[in-house]
Amino acid sequence: MEEIAGTELAIERKEQAVLELADFDEVVRVYRPRILRFLLSSLTDRDAAETLTQECFLKAWNARAQFRGDSSLSTWLTRIAVNLMRDHLRSRSLRFWQKTRGAALDVMDISDWVPDGRTTPEGAALARDQVALVWKAVDELSAQQRSVFVLRFVDEMELEEIAETIGMNLSTVKSHLYRALAILRERMGGKK
Amino acid sequence: MKIRKEAEMENEAESMLTSSQEMRDLAEALSLYRSAIQHVAEKQAARPLAMDRKPAPSFRMRLVMVPALAAALAVAVIVPAVSHLHGHRGITAAKVVDVTPQTPTTTVAQVDDTQLMNQIDSDLTEDVPDALQPLADMGDQTATAKSSETEKK
Repeated sequence: MEEIAGTELAIERKEQAVLELADFDEVVRVYRPRILRFLLSSLTDRDAAETLTQECFLKAWNARAQFRGDSSLSTWLTRIAVNLMRDHLRSRSLRFWQKTRGAALDVMDISDWVPDGRTTPEGAALARDQVALVWKAVDELSAQQRSVFVLRFVDEMELEEIAETIGMNLSTVKSHLYRALAILRERMGGKK
Repeated sequence: MKIRKEAEMENEAESMLTSSQEMRDLAEALSLYRSAIQHVAEKQAARPLAMDRKPAPSFRMRLVMVPALAAALAVAVIVPAVSHLHGHRGITAAKVVDVTPQTPTTTVAQVDDTQLMNQIDSDLTEDVPDALQPLADMGDQTATAKSSETEKK
């Protein structure tokens, strides 16, 4: 009985995800900030993040007939974004242009950011310093470590969802996350 | 023995406390990082799409510099080659150019106005060619008729 109910629920979810995709304008409106956030924090390049976000939705639009709702729409879109990012990083010419990129995301971009609960200027400055430390540490991570890290700590995905999105097994995801956190702790003055 | 065990336990407890404090700091830093990234992404998302914006300066530079360099290179290669191939033609053309200014426009200006008028007058009063003589006679006849009529009046 429970099994049947579970199957029905899964079918319902799939249908809902497929239906959600039918209104593509709404899909872009809802998921664009999330995809952009993931690409921005992974690539730290505004232009590349913006371009890949657009490409991501273009690909999703072209492949919308193939979406069966086996994963959530968010996971499906993030998977497209991850693949686009991999292609982008693999491309040698782009890697060359990356060196001369003019739209690099900088820690200075958060100068107008007001952290929650920090009312005093000192508190806000301290929070910014902490963010700058994490920012620099994230910049040192490998592409895979960074993807896992961003999906976990920025997009707040579950480890299983990250594994599904990136196409890695769970233990590899854990391993990347462990290494990323070790680097972060080290940069923040803690133990390795 | 007891003292050593107690010291070990104290050390363990201290390291646990340190690590939990460290974990709290780390968690807080991660939370702040998430908030900052969300802020940056929201700012970016609020901007018009990349297609509507002007390309980055470096990209603009590439867009201008590459065709400019290509054009300069093409000019540097093609111009000497063409001038070498058409060297002789070029020389004759130059000669022609040298000769043409010898037809002075100033001479026209120098021609006296009365002389010019006389020339035109003589051209008009020139003898009518044989083939056109009948037409000339008709013209004369009408002219004489008209003159006699006016004389009568």
